[in-house]
Amino acid sequence: MNQLQWLKYAVTHLSDGFEEMRWKKSGSMKIAWILLTLLFFSRIAQERLYGFQFRESYDKTFSVIPCIISSFVIFFAWVTANNAVSTFLDGEGSTKNIFIYSSYALVPYIAQSLINTVLSHFLIKDEYVFMQVIEITGVIWSVILIFSAVKAVHQYTFMRTIASVLLTIVAMFIMLFLLILFMALVQQLYMFISTIYTELLYRIRG
Amino acid sequence: MESYNYDKWGEAVPSQAGYIAEKAVTGDELGVGSLNTPSDIFYDSADELFYIADTGNNRIIAVDSDFSRAVKIYDNLDLKSPMGVFVSDYIYIADSENSRVLVTDKNGGIVTEITKPDSELYDSQKTFIPQKVIADKAGNIYVVLNNITSGAAVFDSDGNFTGFYGADSVKNTAGVMADYISDMLISDEKRARRSRNIPTGITNFDIDGDFIFTCTSSRTDSVKKLNPAGDNIFSGKELTIGDYTPMYDTSQNRLMSSEIVDIDIAEDGCINCLDRTAGRIFQYDEECNLLFITGGTGSQTGNFRQVSAVESANNAIYVTDSMKNNITIFRQTDFGEIVHKAVDLYNGGYYEESLEPFQEVLRRDGNYRYAYKGVASAFLREGDYSSSMKYAKLADDRSTYNKAFEGYRREFIRSNGGYIFSAIILLVSAIAFFRKYRRKK
Repeated sequence: MNQLQWLKYAVTHLSDGFEEMRWKKSGSMKIAWILLTLLFFSRIAQERLYGFQFRESYDKTFSVIPCIISSFVIFFAWVTANNAVSTFLDGEGSTKNIFIYSSYALVPYIAQSLINTVLSHFLIKDEYVFMQVIEITGVIWSVILIFSAVKAVHQYTFMRTIASVLLTIVAMFIMLFLLILFMALVQQLYMFISTIYTELLYRIRG
Repeated sequence: MESYNYDKWGEAVPSQAGYIAEKAVTGDELGVGSLNTPSDIFYDSADELFYIADTGNNRIIAVDSDFSRAVKIYDNLDLKSPMGVFVSDYIYIADSENSRVLVTDKNGGIVTEITKPDSELYDSQKTFIPQKVIADKAGNIYVVLNNITSGAAVFDSDGNFTGFYGADSVKNTAGVMADYISDMLISDEKRARRSRNIPTGITNFDIDGDFIFTCTSSRTDSVKKLNPAGDNIFSGKELTIGDYTPMYDTSQNRLMSSEIVDIDIAEDGCINCLDRTAGRIFQYDEECNLLFITGGTGSQTGNFRQVSAVESANNAIYVTDSMKNNITIFRQTDFGEIVHKAVDLYNGGYYEESLEPFQEVLRRDGNYRYAYKGVASAFLREGDYSSSMKYAKLADDRSTYNKAFEGYRREFIRSNGGYIFSAIILLVSAIAFFRKYRRKK
């Protein structure tokens, strides 16, 4: 099987797809990056390309930052946090494998949001329930896949997988908290230095 | 004077004026000496007379409809700070400092005098300071009282107290719940110092047929339309009356959040709300869509220092200023006339007929959001779905867009259904053929 067929295999075999991939040492970093980029584009599509009858966005300005955060940043936080948690939960997975498997698990979610973006141009509000069904299916599918990806990549038992996923989420929050703290600190430092700089400028000139 | 309106994002944009100030009339010009803090004005359409409560001078003045002269002065009724006046068959006067409501005939002869009710329903410790008064067709008298939060006091035509009407209620928001819990924990002294959760009282009201419109100084539900049972018809609308975002006034260092002090229902059903903070009149149609914003604070004609009452008659708006002691008359502009015509037709259900005036409105003011909505509805009714979609998008009107889109889709499928169907069949068979071919290979 080539890498694309492996992707299809992993997504369609909920319980043992990733297990099989692991034994065959399959999975491609290139596809993982493409999937991540697709996730990013699907976020933008949801924001900008939705049919008008469903969209509730402020059209006057558009910022790409929230889209980057809700795709790349969250994903990297997940990979890092999971890698960190796995070190003290005896996980076997490498960072690269966590990255690849997690991104493969996102396929249903990405598909769901792209399908819904297209459908939103053909359906009316009364038919929103179809879109909801697709959305819920995609999300649940992705959650199960993530679960099975964590299980396979670290060779965990069922209970340990649950613990790992929960701890990863906690770790993600801690990371984001620290990130915000760090950014606030950097900003204050920057303000401090820039104030000194302006002050110095005035002294030198004056 | 800069006139503005709100766009679909709730941001202020320049707009054409619907009303312009024609003149400001003082008491001297009416031949009655200067007014002193006039606080109410009422138009009696039967006699075509304006009645002004000249509070500081303890009198009621009747003025002819073009504000050229005072016709009659009611100053022999022993009034003391009359705050409100209402006229139907009789003249109803809220005589605040005498703690009574006076009902007189039009010659000034006292018919009934209503004083503090001696009733179990009325807490005898509470004061009785009438602020505003109205009467309905059956002769029931509604009185807004100072410091009474349980609604307007209602009296029957003989002056007997029958109860309260249109009370506000405190909603169980999270803040109120939190206060309730902390009430059990904190000391009595602290509790006494904290602001209490009591409903805001009615500030002012107006009657239109069977419905009474009230306004309060609170931020939420500041304008209500009450049916005879006292239920708020606007309750589901989540209205924002007044300015959307309070303006920050740098000269006075305070937020100018709107405070509606008077409400008036015009003959055509438009609702005029008077905002004391900004000195502006916000005009809404009967469905509470914003039409025009007029006025402002300042000393020129058309601006105010302290507005107190608003009244409308014959397509004009009359506003009393209790610090300038005059009455400003706003005339409807051409633009205002077209908008009113369009809105009247639109609210009457004549969507097709409203198309022409709405398009004229857009020719004159491309920022006018309501007109886009009207044009979208008109096109939808005519069956021109793609135009309707275009205008509904501009108006940010999702429900109209949704209906128009449904029609558009139906028509599209009806005219192109054959092609779509055959394209799908072709595609499916092509895929099937391709797969078979590949498997063979």
